[in-house]
Amino acid sequence: MADAATRMGLATRTPMGLRLTETGESFVGRHREEYVHQMHVHGSVTGRVRRFLEGNVRDWRGHWRRHGFDDETLTGFYRNMQNLPGRVEETLPLGDLHAGEKCTIVLPLGGHGMVRRLAEMGLTPGTEVRVVRSAPMRGPIEVSLRGVSLALGRGIASRVLVKRSNNGQPTSNS
Amino acid sequence: MEPKRRLTVCLAGNANVGKSVIFNQLTGLNQAVGNWPGKTVERAEGSLHFEGYTIRIIDLPGIYSLSAYSMEEMVSRDFIALESPDVVVNIVDASALERNLYFTTQLLELGAPLVVALNQIDFAARKGIKVDAEKLSQMLGVPVVPTVATAGIGLQELLSKVVEVAEKRPTPMEIRYGREMERSIKKLEASVKTGLPRLTSRYPARWIATKLLERDEDICKKVDGENGGRVLSEAAKIAEQIEDLHGEPTSVIIASERYSLVCQTAKQATTVVSPPVIGIGQRLDSLTAHKILGYPILAGVLASVFTIVFVAGDATIGILERLFDAVLVPAAEAFLSKGVPPAAVQVISGGVMWGVGAAVTIVLPYIVPFYILLGILEDSGYLPRAAFLMDNMMHKIGLHGKAFIPLLLGYGCSVPACVGCRIMETDRERFLAGFVVTLIPCAARSVVILGLVGRYVGIPAALALYLFDLCLVMLVGRLAFKALPGAPMGLIMEMPPYRAPSLKAILNKTWARTKDFVYIAFPFIIGGSVFLQLLSAVGAMPMIADLMAPLTTSWLGLPQIAGIPLIFGVLRKELTLVLLGELAGTFNFSGILTSIQMVVFAIVTMIYVPCVATIAALAREFGAKRAVAVAVLDSVLAVLVGGLAYHLLSLAL
Repeated sequence: MADAATRMGLATRTPMGLRLTETGESFVGRHREEYVHQMHVHGSVTGRVRRFLEGNVRDWRGHWRRHGFDDETLTGFYRNMQNLPGRVEETLPLGDLHAGEKCTIVLPLGGHGMVRRLAEMGLTPGTEVRVVRSAPMRGPIEVSLRGVSLALGRGIASRVLVKRSNNGQPTSNS
Repeated sequence: MEPKRRLTVCLAGNANVGKSVIFNQLTGLNQAVGNWPGKTVERAEGSLHFEGYTIRIIDLPGIYSLSAYSMEEMVSRDFIALESPDVVVNIVDASALERNLYFTTQLLELGAPLVVALNQIDFAARKGIKVDAEKLSQMLGVPVVPTVATAGIGLQELLSKVVEVAEKRPTPMEIRYGREMERSIKKLEASVKTGLPRLTSRYPARWIATKLLERDEDICKKVDGENGGRVLSEAAKIAEQIEDLHGEPTSVIIASERYSLVCQTAKQATTVVSPPVIGIGQRLDSLTAHKILGYPILAGVLASVFTIVFVAGDATIGILERLFDAVLVPAAEAFLSKGVPPAAVQVISGGVMWGVGAAVTIVLPYIVPFYILLGILEDSGYLPRAAFLMDNMMHKIGLHGKAFIPLLLGYGCSVPACVGCRIMETDRERFLAGFVVTLIPCAARSVVILGLVGRYVGIPAALALYLFDLCLVMLVGRLAFKALPGAPMGLIMEMPPYRAPSLKAILNKTWARTKDFVYIAFPFIIGGSVFLQLLSAVGAMPMIADLMAPLTTSWLGLPQIAGIPLIFGVLRKELTLVLLGELAGTFNFSGILTSIQMVVFAIVTMIYVPCVATIAALAREFGAKRAVAVAVLDSVLAVLVGGLAYHLLSLAL
């Protein structure tokens, strides 16, 4: 049973099974962000984060068990974290791209609600995106996809993992 | 004679597709704007006659999906599913077909009798895109009518298709997913059909099954309410299987599948005929959202908006006040001559009529011009650019860029600003924005700041007060953001292309918003004014001033009479100044107050309890409890800051 997670306030029981609470989301999110940070700062992912992103299940499960999680909970929490399409080294946060660059969405990270919202606005894995401009001082970035322009806050943009397109040259139109 | 035939039609579509323009074209002034019952979501309704039908048109909010993400989406899907309108007109932007058709697929899934209005074909043509309406209609299985709403093109055709669909009900395309998803949905659909007879009588079974797989919270709750535990656990099991296989949440997988379907449809119906014309809109876009130039342009736009509002306001307010005096004084005399007791006359003329006067003299001169200018900024597409540039700043107070819009409104009037907080996505952010808005000096408070501090102490001091207020907003906003539970939301906002705004739509919107303002504000301004006149008629005012004396004189350092204007200021902030003059018997304020007292008086007026109309708006948007909390908090803050300012300034000067 998933009593450990519910007791820790990381998840609640709903009619649909376990759902992450806000604390749970940020708990999980911290490790996702660690990945983004490592990619961003060190240019590659090492250690635990890399192992779990590459689907080395035994390893990260062991890690989480030490936090009091049982198998059922872990399966639920990490289902969507496996099978990252593409090689990890090729991805970078959308927020790191410059105006005019093009990329393909690999994986939006974040809570269920956010990831779903992004998908509904058209940011589904595999979608081609062009960066139109970014606001100064780490403000939002504007991207163009599926014929529309969207402004994304910097926090969100840094959680959307993308793969730079080969012809990432600035272009005059979309 | 045939009986009169009635149709209920709703307009649905993404934001910025010209939905409200179509609504205005169809219904003209024959419309009413209100709220959805129990929800703070705007509901616009109108009616028209066409080919013997009386058609009632409901304008649903502009949304991107039919999930349970926001109140707007909930309202829309419940309206379509539960009130089963005869026809749903889906307005689609031809220049951004893919994203718009995503929403169409959801309407189809919900089993809505659909007519698609392929709008803005002129704009698409300028982007070099030609959409084949015939082909699209064949693929979707529903009528598709090309329209140019701003010019009224295609609307007659649209209406006749609406009547046709209402009479014939064609079978629309069934949205089919990938093989494996399709099998899961079918399997679950069967269980839904047998297990949930009540829910399936309201929503299509296939739709329920899809929503269950998407883990839609609202539907899960509804299923659970019908003892659907078995169906729920089956849904959870299937969803988990799919997620295990794909490594992504089902909602994302389903969204991806819808998008790939839509992408094919859009590709087949669209031909790129020419390279896009770089029009004036795009040049404006790169200028106004420019990372450096954008900011001075924003400042310039805001400065001109407020200059226009204040100049227009000053001009009309003088005329109106003279007009009211011309009516009020003779009316009061007429009452007196008929033997009505003077106290009653005071309550009637000073309370009711004067209250009406006060309300009218703020609506006409300030609110209407402000709404018109706002409408232009909104419909042209400038506001999203402003929000884009300001996102960073707004994050400092825990809000994202969209909050800039209600904050901006707040400099005009707090009432529409509170209503404007609806553009924020979550309840937490709406309330946070609403709270911050009450601290922004509205036009009435600006009258006090400029008329007292600006005139007698100097314009730099007045500007310093505005700057001080901005700092205070930042500080208090930040504290409130830390104190309120929940995580801040990031910005996801569409940046619509620039378009020439339609005058008719702006005037209609201004009219509807002004009406809304009148409904919220007038009863409270007039009622409050009568109440306060009653208090002063029974001679309670000096007593209250005495009671307040420790606060006004020792802590704030103001003369004792200043207590009374501050009470009346609850009706309308600039009254503090008018009443202070009347009570002191002179409008040369330099004779009554020292410079420091003026600054303190202005600070208190600027921050303390929002006016009654604002409290009413807060109560309507956030509930009475939270409205009172904001009022109390603001008052405490005002007294605190005002007192500190008095003591510090006295020390310094």
